[in-house]
Amino acid sequence: MKKNLLKPLMVVFICLLAFACVKDTDFDQAEDIVLTPVVELDLIYFNIEASEFYDDVNQIPIPTLTDTTEIRFLDDTEVQENLRRADFYFKFTNSIPRNFQVDFQFLSEQNDTTYATQTSVAEGSVQTPVITEFEEIIEGDDILQVTMANRIVVSVTIPDANPDLEGTLNLQSKTTYYLEIRDRE
Amino acid sequence: MRNVLTLTLALGLSVCFAQNKQLLYGFDEVPQSLMLNPGTKVPQKKHFGIPFLSQLHINGGSSGVSVFDIFGESNVDINTRIRNKIFELKNSDFFTATEQLEIINFGWRANNEIYFSGGIYQELDFISYFPRDLAILAWEGNRDYLDYPFNLGEISATADLLTVYHFGANKQLTKKLTAGLRVKLYSSMLSARSVNNKGTFVTTLGGPDSPNIYEHTVTNANVTLNTSGIASLDGMDSSEIPGEIIGRAFFGGNFGLGVDLGATYDINNRLSASASLIDVGMIFHGKDAETYEATGTYTLDGIELIFPPLSAGQPTLPYYDNLEDELEEEIPIDTITSGYTQFRPLKVNAALKYSFGKTVGKGAECDCRNMGGGIDRAQAVGAQFYSIFRPKGPQMAGTLFYYRRLWDFLAAKATYTVDSYSFSNVGLALVTDFGKFNFYIAADNLLRYGNLAKAKSVSLQLGFNIKIDEE
Repeated sequence: MKKNLLKPLMVVFICLLAFACVKDTDFDQAEDIVLTPVVELDLIYFNIEASEFYDDVNQIPIPTLTDTTEIRFLDDTEVQENLRRADFYFKFTNSIPRNFQVDFQFLSEQNDTTYATQTSVAEGSVQTPVITEFEEIIEGDDILQVTMANRIVVSVTIPDANPDLEGTLNLQSKTTYYLEIRDRE
Repeated sequence: MRNVLTLTLALGLSVCFAQNKQLLYGFDEVPQSLMLNPGTKVPQKKHFGIPFLSQLHINGGSSGVSVFDIFGESNVDINTRIRNKIFELKNSDFFTATEQLEIINFGWRANNEIYFSGGIYQELDFISYFPRDLAILAWEGNRDYLDYPFNLGEISATADLLTVYHFGANKQLTKKLTAGLRVKLYSSMLSARSVNNKGTFVTTLGGPDSPNIYEHTVTNANVTLNTSGIASLDGMDSSEIPGEIIGRAFFGGNFGLGVDLGATYDINNRLSASASLIDVGMIFHGKDAETYEATGTYTLDGIELIFPPLSAGQPTLPYYDNLEDELEEEIPIDTITSGYTQFRPLKVNAALKYSFGKTVGKGAECDCRNMGGGIDRAQAVGAQFYSIFRPKGPQMAGTLFYYRRLWDFLAAKATYTVDSYSFSNVGLALVTDFGKFNFYIAADNLLRYGNLAKAKSVSLQLGFNIKIDEE
């Protein structure tokens, strides 16, 4: 009896170990794995006083104020490979009674302009500041241009200025990065 | 070959197991049961493990996910399945892998009836808890999680590669009590751990006083990574690294000391209780130790442009560099080269065994030289308890077992185990003695061997010994 039981038992056990396998699986699916995080990140902000558009010493208006910052991660290889879309959102709050033209210029390491966009900001007043929103959705081939840049140049142009001009131009901005991360050979 | 490959893959993915050797514990026909309880009963007179073959132990497991859950053939997109799993898993779920390879194992009964045993084994032990919040952040990004504090403290992982030199003594103290002690010298080859971390990361919409649209805030971060034996490998040619690590196996690395304790008590001649504490010890990482520590609180608002009046050709302010400097100042990453002490994962085993059936081997029901002591019988049933201390607290397992001596040369033990992985873990161990040649194999989760992809843990032990029995 014992003998009768033992042999099948051993056979079953050894077979289990010998023929253990992984079934109904498809490891090729690993190639289809894509991470698609959507990242919200602050970009730049500033507050420009109306007086900054007038040179008190020389008694002349300064029509355009320009500043530049690096956005160093923008041309990282990972970002270049994985970024599919970027939504730039700019929110201006203007209490200066002037319209503005604002230019955004993306510069590469070699100082080439890879992408540029501009918007105009509606005039406001100190009592009732006016909000102007501007959104630039960048995808497709444009993304390749943007991810070649690692600097943004911001130029703010005022049509005319005088020493009595009052108010502030405020900017807040953010970018929504749509990433698509997959295993690349 | 294909099976071997897929098995390797399967273990590779579901890396995790908890070192529970429920099949070998108390299975005295296997000399390695002494390693699980230095106070077990030793029937043989001497044993020698065949070098490198006396015990191979592999264990892999993950408490919340199987290979099949992710890679199973299905109409559902793999990314949907991964996403569902990320949300289903808890931060107490874990992945673990253990491997032990005995290099030497030997033992002999001295004239004073003490059974001495010693040896060397190499161990790899890895555990990582599932950092659920960070997985969500990586998978989804922060857009849909404004105001949700991602917990940085969920990072909890340890990895160790070490060699253990051990020597122990075991003696039947009274008719009822057998006890044993084993001293261990640990030689750590590589070690890394990141435990007891704290902190949160949150993105919130900026309030009226906030300079920008969002505030990205890291609060009370305290994230630490201890490493030893790793810093010196940096910069080394990759072909030199294996040689360097193997060199450390032989007294080249960091040392530690520990003990194993255990005892077996025969309550009557059918009922017996046993318990052991394994790896009560610590490793002192002094040599080649590096600790990286990031602490602090920081809120990122983006970059403020101040439009400084510049003359032509003059560069503007280095805003980005300043931002990086500020971040490094607020959440500095310190590198500390002083040593640290690491506790070994303590394992606790306990068992209650009831023997029945006809008596076998030495000792009969009316053996006057063994009054009140336990008697070897052909069958036994019992219950076992196992616990291992892990970074987030003990992991426990309960086992019911049935033991049967089929013939003199063949014994088997079947187990049913409930643990963090499943409620349906059935295991079987066989040990054979052909003359002096002793071979054993033990595998659990047998119900899953039909398709290992569906197993959440797999454990396998096998080995060859030369055993010389008492005359």
